[in-house]
Amino acid sequence: MAHEADVLTGPADVPIGKADHYGHNLPLIDGNKSYHQVTEEVFGPTERRPPVAWWIAISITLSMLMVGVWGGYQTVTRGIGTWGLNRTVGWAFDITNFVFWVGIGHAGTLISAILFLFRQRWRTSINRAAEAMTIFAVMCAGTFPIIHMGRPWLAFWATPYPNSRGPLWVNFKSPLLWDVFAISTYFIISLTFWYIGLLPDLATQRDRATTKWKRTLLSLFSLGWNGSNRTWSRYETVYMLLAGLSTPLVVSVHTIVSMDFATSVIPGWHATIFPPYFVAGAVFSGFAMVLTLMIIARKVMNLEEYITTRHLEAMTKVVLATGMIVGTAYATEFFTAWYSGNPYERYVFLNRALGPYAWAYWMMVGCNVLSPQFFWFKKVRTTPWMILILSIFVNIGMWFERFVIIVTSLHRDYLPSSWAMYRPTFVEVAIFIGSFGLFFTLFLLFTRVLPMIAASEVKGVLKNADH
Amino acid sequence: MKTWKSLGERRGLVRIRKPEFDEELPVGESVRQISRRDFFRFSGIGFAAGLALGCKSKVVEKAMPYLNAQEGLTPGVAQWYATVCGGCSAGCGVLAKSRDGRPIKLEGNPDHPVSRGGLCAIGQAQTRGLYDESRLRGPRVDGKDVAWPELDGDLAQRFAELRASGAAVRVLSGTLTSPTLKASIQAFLGTFKDGRLVQADAFSCAALAGAYERTHGQKLIPRYRLEEADLIIGIEADFLGTWIDPVGFTRAYASRRGPDRARPMSKHIQVESGMSLTGSNADERVRLAPSEVLPFLETLAQRLGLALDVGALSSPLMAKAEAIAHALEQHRGHGLVLCGLNDLRAQELCARINHVLGHEGSTVDLANPSLQKQGDDGALEALVREMSQGKVAALVLLGSNPLYDQPVAFAAAFGKVPIRISMALTADESAAQCTHLAPDHHWLETWRDSEPLTGTVALGQPLLNSLFNTRDAVETFGAWSGRPASALQAIQNRWKADVFPRQKNMGDADSFWNATLQKGAAEVGAGTAPRYQEGRVEGTTRAARTAGYELLLYGKVGIGDGRHAHLPFLQELPDPITKATWDNYVQISPAAAARLGLEQGDLLRVRPEGHPLELELPVVVQPGLDDRTLAVALGYGRTAGGKAGLGVGKNAYPWRTFSTGFLAADPAPLQVRKGSGRIQLACTQDHHSLEGRELVREMALAPYLRDPASARPHEPTGPSVYGEHPHGQHRWAMVIDLSACTGCSGCVVGCQMENNIPVVGRDEVARKREMHWLRIDRYYTGSEAEPGVVHQPMMCQQCDQAPCENVCPVLATVHSEEGLNQQVYNRCVGTRYCANNCPYKVRRFNWWEYPHQSELERLGLNPDVTVRSRGVMEKCSFCVQRLMVAKSTAKSEGRDLKDGEALPACMQSCPAQAIVFGDVQDPESRISQVMRDPKRFLVLGELGIGPAVSYLTKIRNGGSISEASPHEASRARPTGGLAIDGGATEAQGGHHGA
Repeated sequence: MAHEADVLTGPADVPIGKADHYGHNLPLIDGNKSYHQVTEEVFGPTERRPPVAWWIAISITLSMLMVGVWGGYQTVTRGIGTWGLNRTVGWAFDITNFVFWVGIGHAGTLISAILFLFRQRWRTSINRAAEAMTIFAVMCAGTFPIIHMGRPWLAFWATPYPNSRGPLWVNFKSPLLWDVFAISTYFIISLTFWYIGLLPDLATQRDRATTKWKRTLLSLFSLGWNGSNRTWSRYETVYMLLAGLSTPLVVSVHTIVSMDFATSVIPGWHATIFPPYFVAGAVFSGFAMVLTLMIIARKVMNLEEYITTRHLEAMTKVVLATGMIVGTAYATEFFTAWYSGNPYERYVFLNRALGPYAWAYWMMVGCNVLSPQFFWFKKVRTTPWMILILSIFVNIGMWFERFVIIVTSLHRDYLPSSWAMYRPTFVEVAIFIGSFGLFFTLFLLFTRVLPMIAASEVKGVLKNADH
Repeated sequence: MKTWKSLGERRGLVRIRKPEFDEELPVGESVRQISRRDFFRFSGIGFAAGLALGCKSKVVEKAMPYLNAQEGLTPGVAQWYATVCGGCSAGCGVLAKSRDGRPIKLEGNPDHPVSRGGLCAIGQAQTRGLYDESRLRGPRVDGKDVAWPELDGDLAQRFAELRASGAAVRVLSGTLTSPTLKASIQAFLGTFKDGRLVQADAFSCAALAGAYERTHGQKLIPRYRLEEADLIIGIEADFLGTWIDPVGFTRAYASRRGPDRARPMSKHIQVESGMSLTGSNADERVRLAPSEVLPFLETLAQRLGLALDVGALSSPLMAKAEAIAHALEQHRGHGLVLCGLNDLRAQELCARINHVLGHEGSTVDLANPSLQKQGDDGALEALVREMSQGKVAALVLLGSNPLYDQPVAFAAAFGKVPIRISMALTADESAAQCTHLAPDHHWLETWRDSEPLTGTVALGQPLLNSLFNTRDAVETFGAWSGRPASALQAIQNRWKADVFPRQKNMGDADSFWNATLQKGAAEVGAGTAPRYQEGRVEGTTRAARTAGYELLLYGKVGIGDGRHAHLPFLQELPDPITKATWDNYVQISPAAAARLGLEQGDLLRVRPEGHPLELELPVVVQPGLDDRTLAVALGYGRTAGGKAGLGVGKNAYPWRTFSTGFLAADPAPLQVRKGSGRIQLACTQDHHSLEGRELVREMALAPYLRDPASARPHEPTGPSVYGEHPHGQHRWAMVIDLSACTGCSGCVVGCQMENNIPVVGRDEVARKREMHWLRIDRYYTGSEAEPGVVHQPMMCQQCDQAPCENVCPVLATVHSEEGLNQQVYNRCVGTRYCANNCPYKVRRFNWWEYPHQSELERLGLNPDVTVRSRGVMEKCSFCVQRLMVAKSTAKSEGRDLKDGEALPACMQSCPAQAIVFGDVQDPESRISQVMRDPKRFLVLGELGIGPAVSYLTKIRNGGSISEASPHEASRARPTGGLAIDGGATEAQGGHHGA
C-alpha cells in the first residue's frame, strides 16, 4: 500500500524530483519536459483553430443546451404544470438537479483551496480545470432554484434589497434564503479564486498573442502582470489568503444545502446527519466529475503527461474514501430510523429500500457504495477507462441519491391519504439535459480559450524545475 | 390496529383517458389574446347588455331579504335571501347570498324544517348551474331560435287542433314538490279531453309508495324520523347519500351519533350489496348479493311474526337476519327499518315490519308523509305503451330527461309523438329530440313554492332577473292554457286560498306570506295517519342465486341521477368511498378481483345476460363489496346537455327494466369478460390503509362510556425553537367530530364555491393536482372483505408553529395574531417549499393559469376572494373573508363578536353538524367547551406544531347485533360476537386509550 500511497500522502517538505522517504523517484509531470515545452503544449490549443472533433462536440452540447432552453421556455410561459410534480411531491427533478450540480461544484474548491493549504502539489495539473468545472457547475445549479419557482420573474424577491414595501423583507428563518446567500457567496469566491490563479497564465497568453485585440483584452484581464518578484510575491499572498477564505465554503455550501431538508419536518429529510453526509457526498461526486472530465480531456488534448495516471489514482482514492463515508451515512440513516422508534421515519426508509422507488434506491447504493469498491485494486485505479466508467457510475449514483432523498421522502410522508407517485415529464428531462448542455458547452469553450492547465504552477513542480 | 396493505399504487399504466376538454388547457391564452380593442368591445357589450337588462319592462316584484331587511342594495354588501334548493326533489331550504345582484353562494337555511341548515354537494354547486354556458338562451321551434310569442302562437294552433280532436296530451316530469306548478300543469291539461300528468323519477321510490297503498290504502312515502330511532336497519337504502332526502336524514341521523348527544347513541346496521356512503357509517354491515336481499327481508319478517313463504338463504345470512330480528324485538317501538329497493314485495315487507314492531307514529311518520318522491313507474310504463301505440299527440317534458335516464323503450316510442316539447334548461338528450324547446328559468330566477313534506310549506324567491330569454314553467303553462299569470301571482293566489287557511299562527295572509318569505318555510297543520290493513304479502318469493355475478346500480353522492353531470364541480368531487372523480366504473370486491385476475383500472366488459348493451368500464376494487356483486353508478355517459359531462363514464340506465313492474336493475346474471387494456382512474386518494398510524382515533361506545377519560390521547410535545406567537383578541380553532361526520362531501363543494377554487379536469386530478382546500380522507381498517371505514375531513390545520411558515424565503405565509396561518398570494413566488414541509399535504399549488372559462361562469365567483394566478400557493384560510365580515359587522354595531357569528363555509352547511368553530379566547364559546372533550385529539400533534384543528375520536356503537339494547346504551357492554371486527374495535379502543 505504501508504494502507491506516496503521491497522496508524501510529506510536502520532500523536494520534488528528489527521492522521497520511500526511496522512489516519482515525477509529478511525465515526459521530462522543459518550460518551453510546457508553454507550447498548454497554450497551443488556445492559439490554434479547434479541431473538427471539438466542433462536433460543441454542436452536440449546444443542441443539448437548446433542448434545455426549450424546456425552460415551456416552464416559464406555461407553468410548472408542464412538470410531473403534484400536490404531494412538490420538488423532484428541479431540486435534485440543483443539489447534484452544487455537489459537482465541490471538487474545484476542495482541490484548489484545501489541497493547496495541505501542500498537495499534485493538484497543479488539475486545479485549473477543476475550478472551471466548479464555476460552471454552480452556474448550472443556480438556474434550478430560479426556474423551479412558480413565478421566476419575481426571483429577486428572495434577495434582501431595500424596497418600498415597508417592513416587507425576506425570511431569515428559511433555509432557501440561506441557500441564496451560500450559493452566491460560493460562486463569487470561486470565480475570484479561479481568476486570480489565472493571472500569470493570462499574462503568458498576452505575451504570446498575435493579434492586437487579443493582446489588448488579455492585457486588461491580466491586470498588468509583469512577472517581477514583487508581483509573484503578492500573487502568492493573495492566493494563499483566498485559499483560506474558500476553505470554510467547501463545508458551508453543502451544509446549508442539506439544511433545506434537515430543518424540515418531513421524515427522511429531518436528520441531523445531513450536513456531513451531504459534504462528503459533494466531494465524492465532485471528484468523480473531475475524473470523468479529466480522463476525456487528457486523451483528447494530449495532456497525458500532465495529468498522469498518478493524478488519476490520487483522485480515485478520494473517491473511495468519500464513497465509504457516504455508504456509512446510508447505513446510519437506517439505524437511526430504527433506533428512533418513529413509525414515520421507519416507514420512509423501508419504503426507500422496498417501495415503488426501490429501483432508484438500489441504483444509488450500487453506484455509490459498491462501484467505488473496485478502487481497492491498483489495476483499476491506474486504468483510465475503468476509472472513467466508475466515475460515471458515481455521478449517476449521486444524482439518484438526491432524487431518492427528495422524492421518496415526499411521496409517502405522514398521511397515507396523500401518498402519490411522481413521474418526470419531458420538459423536466429537457431542462436536465439542458443543464448538461450548458455545463459542457462552457467547458468546451474554456478548453479553447484559456489554458486548461495552470502552466505557471506546473512549471514549479517540473522535475527539472530546480535545475 | 389491524390494517392491511394498499390495493396498489398503479404502475405501468398504458394510457390516460380523454381529458375533460378536448383541447389542451388554454393556459393564459384567454388573457393574452384579448387585445385592447377586444377589451373595449367586450366592455361595450357588457355595458349594452346591462342597459338592456335594466330597461326590460317588467313588473317589479318585491323579494324579502332574510332577517336584515335593507332599504336598498349596497354595493359590495352581500344580502341573503331564503329560498328552496332546486337541485333535486328533496326541497332543502337554502339561503342564497347575493352580491351586487348576483347569487354567488348557497348555504343551508337553519330555519327550514327539511334540511335545518344542511346542504349537500349538489345543492352547493347550484349557482354554477345558473351561470352555465350550456344553458338554452331562449325558445326554439324545430331547432330555430324564435321569440316566445312565436312559440306560443305555433303551439296554440296545434293545441287547438288537439283540443278539438280529443287527442292525448301528456306532461312528463320528475317529482313536483311545487303545488302551484302542479296546479298550473293540471289547469293546462284540463283544457284537453285526455290530458294527464306523469311523474317519474330517475331514482324511483314508486314501490315504496305502492307498498303503502297495499298496507295502508294510500300511496305515500312515510316521513322517516331517524332522530327517534335507537336502532336503524338500512337495507340497500343509501339514506345518507342519495335516497329520498339525504340532507334531512343526515341531520337527523347525526343527532344520535356520538356518545354525548342529548339522547343515547343509536345503533346502525346496514344490509347491502354495495359499499354505500351509508354503509360506511354503519356500526355493522351485512354483505349480501342483490338477489339475497329479498330472502333476507323475508327471513327477517318471518322471524318477526309475519306469515309468508320465505326464499332459501345461506345459513350465515340466516343467522344474521335472526340476530337483527332479535335486536329489533328488543327495540320495539324505537327501531326503524329502511329499504331502498324499488321492489313491491320488499317494500311491503318493510312496511309491515315497521308496523308490527310499532314504529309507526314514532320513527315512521305516516301523518306527515314525504312528498319528495312522487314518481310512478306504472304510469311511466303506461305512457311508453301509449306512445309506442301512437296514441300520444303531444308530450311536454318538464325537469325530465327520459331519453337519457329511462329504459331504451322510451326513446323508441318517443319518436312516435308528433309534438315533443321540452322545458329543460340545457339542450339535454331529450331536448335534442324535441320539436319545441320552451326553456324554464333556473330555480334561482323564479318564484316558487314547495311542499316537500306534508305540512311543511316553503317559498322560493328569485335572486335575479332571468339571465336568458327563458320563461317560468308556471307562466308557460298559463300561457298555453290561455290564462296567463305571473308565477308570483299564481303562487300568491294559491297561498291565500290553500295554504293560509291551513295555518293557525297568523291572522292575515300578507304577514304570513312575508314571514314565510323571510324565513323560507313554515309548518302548517299535520294530517292524520291512514289505518293499517292486514293482508297477504304481495308477490312470491324469488330464490337467491348462489352463483354468478349480479348487478347493482347505484347513485353517487356528487352526480346523483346525472341531471347535474354537466357541472364540473360535481364531476370533480371525489366519490366519498372510492375517491374517484370524473368517471363511473364497475366496482368489484377484492376477492372477486383476485378471482378474475383484475386490478384497479383494468377494463372489464359487463352485460346482463340477454341484454343488448355491453359496457366496457374500468374496475375499481372496492373493499366491503359483496363478492358476487358488480356495482355500477348511474348518472354518467351523458351525450348532451353541457360540455363537462360529455363522454364522462358510461350510461348504465339502459340496464334498468320494468320486469318487476318497477324500475330496477336488470336481475339477469352478469356476463363479464376482460376488456382491452387499462386506464388510470382519476382518484384523489390511492392509499387506503392507515399503516398503523394513529391519525384517526376510534373507540367502541362501551369502553368509552365506562371511562370517558380513557379516550384522552397521550400527545407528548417538546419545546419550540421559536416560542409562542402573540395572540390578539381572537384565536380561532376548529373541532371536527368524527362520530358525526358521514363523509357526505357537501363541505368540499361548499368550500370550492366560497373560495373560488378551480376545477382542474380529469387529467390533472389523475396527476394528483386537484385543488380542493378541504378534502375528506377515507381510510379502511379491519379486513379487506369487511372493512371499517373512517372519514376524516382534512384542511389546513392552521398550526401555531407552522412548518410552512418557517421555510418560505419571502414571507408569503405568515401567522396572524388570531392564530391563522395566512397565505399572501401577492408575495408568493412559488417555491412549493411550504407544501413539501406541510405534514398534512393540504397546500395547493396553481400549476397552471386555471381558466375561469367564460364571462358568464365568472359571474359565480366570490368577489371577496382573490382568484389566484399561476405559480402561487393556496390553501384553506378558515374562510378569513367571512371572519372579517362578521368582525366588521360586530364592530360597526359597536359590540363584541358573538359566538357562532363567524363561521367558515364548511361548517355552515354541514348536514351532520360535525364541525365546531369559534374563538378559544372566549371561555364561554362552544368551541372552548368542545376543546375540553376527552375525545379530542390532534392529528400529528406529536410533531409539536400545534394545529388549531382537532378531531373528536370516532365512537362506534359496536357489539353484536343481538346484544344491542337501546335503554342500556348508557351502560357498558362488551363488544365482539357477530360484530364486524368487534374485537378489533375493542382492541383499538383499548389501544388508543392506553
